[in-house]
Amino acid sequence: MLWYVIRRLLLIIPTLLGLSVIVFAIARLLPGDPVGLAAGPNATPEVIASVAAEFGLDKPIPVQYWNYLTGLLQGDWGVSLFSRRPVAADLAEFVPATLELVIAALLIAVIVGIPLGLLAAIWRDGIFDYLTRTVSLGAIAMPRFFLGLLLQLAFAMALNWLPLSGRFPLIEFPPERITGFYTVDAILIGDWHALGVALQHLALPALALSLSPLATILRMMRASTIEVLQQDYILTERALGIPSWIILFKYTLRNAVSATLTVIGLYVSWLLGGTVLVETIFDWPGIGLYSTQAILGQDFMPVIGVTLVIAMIYLVTSVIVDILQAVLNPKVRLQ
Amino acid sequence: MSQIDTSLPRAGLARSARAEARARAIYRFRQSLLSVIGLAIAVILITVALLAPWLLPYPDDVTGAVNPAVAFQPPSAAHWFGTNSVGQDIMTLVIYGSRISLLSGVTVILLALIIGGALGVIAGWVGGWIDEVIMRITDLLLTIPSLILAMAVAAALGTGIWNMIIAITITWWPTYARLVRAEVAAKKQEQFVIASRVLGVGPMRLIGRHVLPNIVTPVVVKASLDVGFAILLVASLGFVGIGVKPPTPEWGTMLAEARNYMPQYWWTAIFPGTAIFLAVLAFNLLGDGLRDVLDPRTRR
Repeated sequence: MLWYVIRRLLLIIPTLLGLSVIVFAIARLLPGDPVGLAAGPNATPEVIASVAAEFGLDKPIPVQYWNYLTGLLQGDWGVSLFSRRPVAADLAEFVPATLELVIAALLIAVIVGIPLGLLAAIWRDGIFDYLTRTVSLGAIAMPRFFLGLLLQLAFAMALNWLPLSGRFPLIEFPPERITGFYTVDAILIGDWHALGVALQHLALPALALSLSPLATILRMMRASTIEVLQQDYILTERALGIPSWIILFKYTLRNAVSATLTVIGLYVSWLLGGTVLVETIFDWPGIGLYSTQAILGQDFMPVIGVTLVIAMIYLVTSVIVDILQAVLNPKVRLQ
Repeated sequence: MSQIDTSLPRAGLARSARAEARARAIYRFRQSLLSVIGLAIAVILITVALLAPWLLPYPDDVTGAVNPAVAFQPPSAAHWFGTNSVGQDIMTLVIYGSRISLLSGVTVILLALIIGGALGVIAGWVGGWIDEVIMRITDLLLTIPSLILAMAVAAALGTGIWNMIIAITITWWPTYARLVRAEVAAKKQEQFVIASRVLGVGPMRLIGRHVLPNIVTPVVVKASLDVGFAILLVASLGFVGIGVKPPTPEWGTMLAEARNYMPQYWWTAIFPGTAIFLAVLAFNLLGDGLRDVLDPRTRR
């Protein structure tokens, strides 16, 4: 088990290496003139040349890649062409914000989706089943940015219950940084006012992000529960007169969740991509907003950095999912 | 002495069996209310897109005409969906936007299918190091969220509908390459393929006549589901400000602009947003319905 985990984690390194080549190639080989953009519209050729030299962009691309890679290993993720801030510092600031949002959305999706899927399977072909099935089909087709806008329209503008956007009021100081997660930091220092404010700001974006995974988890959970309920061993347990709630919670739930888990793992990558839109709508200062601004300005160091971080989170998640899979289902052998 | 009939079954019989299977499939599709709704919305959308030039209430608005005198009119008899910040009729823009969305959604999936399919066939059929290389590239591309990859490529290529289509295709082909590869590799081992090969059938004919027709089902199901998600990705790119630029009306771009006029001018957002939702929903329902019909194993 331990060896399996170590080997899987080590395998992430060549993947990231390959990814860095591809992303670097996309960033540098496609047309587009980031240096010209950074130097400004009225820059003379000399200014452009000096900007290019400052960022090492005058060297051949393989050399640039080598410099980037060796820097990466020393914790230097390059410098933004525009803000001239180190990408590593920006990422340290923005990654926790995005993770907080993604984890909140995933929690909502799992906590609501799994019980609803279970109920839909138990009351199969009933009104509840039909309703959840129809609503979840709609939820999957709903564009996140449109949903975010509707939520803002309803809860922030019309009802005035929740803040419109942002992560914390501009006039207040966020809780002292320990983990970078405002909610966790507020709990750690016992600042309940800050926790309330942070949760209020988190609510709408997390909801907007969670709806589609919620619907998918619900559908997956329903399908896998129905499949488990049709197994012979469930029939045997019924015949033996075991109460149905014991059958459900002791013998069905575990197997059904194990199948749903794979979907949840796959959704992490989707959520990390989806934050781009939700962060844009809600002005959430995470890597989605950061990478959008960088992409629009063709500021490629941040883009490469964000991509590598997302890939890393995704790969680590898939290792965790595989391990959980083995814990839940002894038939799965880790090799 | 009686004669034993050694002739092969006539082609007519086989065709009638096929017709019967088709009739049964259509029956199953019609049994599912949601699939029929999906098909209906899709047909309406495609009709609207095709007939758009004749349906526009204010045709000048799609070429960038402005009319500040009637800016921000709420929905009325003259402007069913209201007007935007420069007095353009939102209904006109939404109708014309259907062309951009459907055209790019369908084109992306077709291109991804052709590129991914070809590479998938090569990987699955040839195997060996070629298979290994193609699959590792798809692995890598699939670890990047498609929206971010498409945004990066589209931004580097510059605005314009074709650059956007190319960018999305780059993010989309790997899923088809993997699907087709798995199916081809499985079919390659089947008795009927091995038998044909022993009979001396060449690789082109073997793939074209015996393998590909047998893997069409999962590919078609995935493609029809994916058209909806491609439309969603097109709108997402428009929403973050990459992709089609005004005056060409695009649903996502319209929604991004409408954000600035909330909540007073809600109609500028509701109608393009609903259009995106309906288009994605239609192809999702259609794909689900097709899967139920064509692939009985996964039926509920």
